Amino acid sequence: MSLDKGWGLLSDLVHKTIRVLEKKDIVHAEAFFMSAQTTEIVIRNSEIHTQNRVDDSGVGFRVVVADNKVGFACTNTLSEKAVLEAAEKAFALARVSSKVPDFALPKVCKPPKVEGLYDSRIAEINVEEGIDIANRMIRAAEDFDQRVIAKDGRVNFECGWRGIANTSGVDFEEKGTKAMIYLGASGEQKREVTGSCYDAIFSRTADLKPEKVGKNVGKMVIEMFKPQPTKKFQGTVVFGPEAVSYQLFNVLVDALKGENVVAGRSAWTGKLGQMVASEDLTITDNAILKEGFASRSFDDEGCSSQKTILLRKGKLESFLHDTTSANALKMRNTGNASRFPSGFSMIRAIVGNGYRAKPETYPSNLIIQPGDETKEELVSEIRKGVLVESMAGFAQPGSGVISTQLSRAFYIQNGEIQYPIKTGMVSGVAFNWLTQLSGIGKDSKQFANAVVPSLRVEEVRVVGV
Amino acid sequence: MIAIFESLERCFQTRIVSQADSVQLRGQKRVMTTCTVKNGVIEDFSKNSLNGIGVRVFFDNKSWGFSSTNMLESESVKQTLENALELAKASSKLKQHKMMFEPVKKVTADVSIPVKKPLRNFSAEDIVEIPLEAYKGAKEAGPQVADVKATYISIEDDKYFLSSEGSRIHQNISRVLLFVDVIAKSNGLFCPASENLGHTGGFELFDKTSPYSLGKTVAEKAVRLLSVKAPPSGKFRVVIHPTLCATLLHEAIGHPLEADLAMAGGGFGNRIGELVSSKLVTIYDDGRVRGGLGYFAYDDEGVECKRTVLIENGVLRSLMHDRTSAAIARVSPTGNSHAWDYSVEPLIRQTNIGIEAGDRSLEEMIEDVKEGLFLKGTFGGQADVNADFTFGFQSAKRIQRGRLCEELRGANVAGNAIEVFKTIDAVGKKVVLRPGACGKSQFAVQGRVVPAIRCEIMVGGMGG
Repeated sequence: MSLDKGWGLLSDLVHKTIRVLEKKDIVHAEAFFMSAQTTEIVIRNSEIHTQNRVDDSGVGFRVVVADNKVGFACTNTLSEKAVLEAAEKAFALARVSSKVPDFALPKVCKPPKVEGLYDSRIAEINVEEGIDIANRMIRAAEDFDQRVIAKDGRVNFECGWRGIANTSGVDFEEKGTKAMIYLGASGEQKREVTGSCYDAIFSRTADLKPEKVGKNVGKMVIEMFKPQPTKKFQGTVVFGPEAVSYQLFNVLVDALKGENVVAGRSAWTGKLGQMVASEDLTITDNAILKEGFASRSFDDEGCSSQKTILLRKGKLESFLHDTTSANALKMRNTGNASRFPSGFSMIRAIVGNGYRAKPETYPSNLIIQPGDETKEELVSEIRKGVLVESMAGFAQPGSGVISTQLSRAFYIQNGEIQYPIKTGMVSGVAFNWLTQLSGIGKDSKQFANAVVPSLRVEEVRVVGV
Repeated sequence: MIAIFESLERCFQTRIVSQADSVQLRGQKRVMTTCTVKNGVIEDFSKNSLNGIGVRVFFDNKSWGFSSTNMLESESVKQTLENALELAKASSKLKQHKMMFEPVKKVTADVSIPVKKPLRNFSAEDIVEIPLEAYKGAKEAGPQVADVKATYISIEDDKYFLSSEGSRIHQNISRVLLFVDVIAKSNGLFCPASENLGHTGGFELFDKTSPYSLGKTVAEKAVRLLSVKAPPSGKFRVVIHPTLCATLLHEAIGHPLEADLAMAGGGFGNRIGELVSSKLVTIYDDGRVRGGLGYFAYDDEGVECKRTVLIENGVLRSLMHDRTSAAIARVSPTGNSHAWDYSVEPLIRQTNIGIEAGDRSLEEMIEDVKEGLFLKGTFGGQADVNADFTFGFQSAKRIQRGRLCEELRGANVAGNAIEVFKTIDAVGKKVVLRPGACGKSQFAVQGRVVPAIRCEIMVGGMGG
C-alpha cells in the first residue's frame, strides 16, 4: 500500500476512535499518529553490508479523566478493533493513575507555514541511488589517502506523515522527508591504528554531499597518526561543533527543559532574567528554521511552532516548554513537546519514539548564534591548550559535570596545533565553562536537534598521564 | 499466536522465496507496560502493543536485504518479502566477492522461560505500587531529595523464527525492570544517583530487593554525596565494585570482542591464541544464564545460545559471532545475533557477558593498596573499536595504606581496555548478576555476571 493511501486509512480510523472516546467520561483525549517509510544502506568494512527498508505506522492515545489523571496506550495493529482497544486501554490506565498537577493539552491554534520540510526527491529515491551515495562516500574517504579504511556508516532516507488530533479541536497533519548520511573511518600504517573519526550530514533535502563527508573523514583520520600523551594542565580549550552538539548540548538541554524546572532539577531553576553565561552567548530554539532538520509547523502535541530566544547575550530569557510545563510555571508555551528526542535515555530507548510514547520537552533546532572567527583564528590566540573535536562519555545529569575522554583532540602551543592527544580527559562543570567563553566560531553545523559552532573556553582542566 | 506462524509459513510458498539463497522470517508480538512516578505523581502509565514481521533475504551468495512492516495482512507480508529481495539484489550486482553464511542444523523448538510470578497475575493497581513504593523509600532520605523518578517496565515477547532451512522456533520471554533516579540538592549543588533492577522472569524480581529499599538506598547515596569532595584526577590503582565492573566489562572488553567490531581491525582482531589480558581473567558470554536480562534460548538467526569462552586465563579464545562472521572466521556461530525487535536487522550483540570469579575477598583487595580509589556505581559509558572507553562512576572512596577512607563524588574514568585489563592483579571471589543495556545502533537488554576487580585506570575528577 502506498504511504499516502495508508495514511488516509489510518487518519480515518483515528478520527473515528476520537469520536468514540468523546462519548466516554473523559476530560481530554489526544491521538498522535504517524506513518513512515525508511530506506537505509549500512556500510561495514569498506563495503555495503545490508540494505534495510522499514515501514512503520501506529497511533498512541493519551486519555485524561477527572482530576487530571492520564493514561497512554499505543498500537501498530491498524484494525478498527485494535485501535479502539488501545484507546480503551489508555482510558482504563487513566482511571488507576494519579492526579498530574497542571496537566494541559493545547487549544486550537494556527500553525505557521514552514519551508523546506518535504523534498519529493527523497520520497521517490530508490535503493540503487542510496547505494551509489554510500559507495561515493566510501570512495572519497579511501581515495583521500590509502591508509584510510571506512569502517562503518549509514545512508538513511525517511519519508513520513505525522498527525495530531485532540478533543479540543486540534487536528493537524504534516508530511516530511529527512536524510542522514554518516561515515566512520580509521587509519592504519605499519602497526599503528588510529581511533575512529566520524562525519555526518543531516538534511531535509536530497542535496547530500557524500564526497564531502568522505573527504572530511579521510582528512580527520590522517591527522590522528602518532598521538602523544599530555600532562595534566589548566588551559584554553576550543570545543568543535561535534563536541558542542553532544555533551555541552546535553547539559544545556538538562537545564532548559521546562519539566526539569518544574521538578526543581534544572540548575537554572529560578534564574530567569539572570546572567547564566558569557554575554557573547545567544541561544535560540527555532522550530520554523527553513530546511531545519527538526523543523515542523506544530509540535508533537499540536502547539504551533515558533522561534524562542532562550539566552540573549548570556541572560536567561526562556525555558523550553510543552503545554503542561508552561501551565505549571504560568509561562508561555514554546511548542517544544517532542516525541523524537535525540539524546540517550534508557527508558526512552526501551519504550521507543514517535507514537510509542508520550512527549517530553526537548529542543527542536537549538541554535547557538555563531561568531565571526574561523577555527584557525580561535586556535591562533591560544598559548597553551587543546582543540577538542570530539569527546566520549556522558555529562552527569543535573550537575553539569563533564569529565570526558578526548577521542579526537589536539594539543595547542603558541597558537599552533602540535599533535593529536593520546588518552586524555577534560573535566569541569559545563555551567562554569559557559561563563568562561572567550570566542565563538563561525563554523556552525547542523545536527539532529542542534545547529552549533565551535566554542572557546578559558581555564579548563585537561587530565593526562 | 498460531496465526503469525501460519502467515509466515505461507511466505515460503511464494515464488519470491525460490529466488533467494536463504530466507529468515521473524514475527513478534510485544506488549510493554511502563509506569513512571515522578515526585509522587504517576506521570506516565502506558501500554504498548507492537506486532510485526521482519524479513531477511540472502541473495546470490553475496548480499543481504532486510525489510520489516507492522502490517500483517498477506498482501503487505508479500510486499515486505519482495522489498527484502529487491534490496538484496540491488547491492549484489556491485559486489565482487562471495560472502559466506555458516550453515546450522534446523531446529524445531517451542520455549517458554520459566516464571515464578507471572505478570498476568498482577493488576494495574499492583503495578502502580512498585514505582510509588520506590518513591516513598527515596523520600525517607531527607529534605535534600529534590527529584525522584522511578520507572517500572515489563516487556512480554512472543517471538517466531522461520527459515528456509526448515527451522521453526517460538520463544516466549518476559522481562521486568525498575529504574530509580534521584537528584539531591543543597545550596545550588546537585548530586545524582541511580540504580536499576532487571531480570528475565516475572514479578519475583522484587522478592529479593523491595522497591522501597531500592529507592531509599539510592536517595541516601545522593544525599550523602552532597557533603563530600570531588575525586582527584590522574592515573590510580583502583578497586572496582561489581556495579561498575559490569559497565567496564560490557563497554571496554565486550564490544571489542564482538566479531563485527573486532574484524574491523584494531582491538582484538586476528589475535586468537594470544595473551591479551591479565592471566587472572576468564571472560565468557552465556545466553542461558538463568534470570539474566540477556537470556535467550535461540538467537535471531536460529542458532542455539550457549556459553562461549572468549578469554581464558588471559588468552583470547573466541569472538562473539553471527553466522556471517563465523563463516569468515571458519568457526561455529555463537548465538550472538540479536535484533531489538522485529523492525530491525539482527546484529552481533552480547547476551549475558561474565568474568569468572577469582579468589580474593573485597577486604583483601583493598588491604594491598597503599594509595588508590574504590569506585562504585555506574552512569553508563561508551567504547570504540580500538577498545578506548569512557564511563562514569557514581561515588568513590579513597584508599590509604590498605584502608577505606573518606567518600568522594562521582566522575568519569577512561583508558584503553586492553591496556587496563593487563593491569588486573586481583579478581573478587563473589560474582553478581547485573542488568544492563546497550545502544549499538539499536537497543538491547543484556545481563552481566561480575566480580570486583583491581587494576590501574585514569580518573577525570575535579578534586585534588
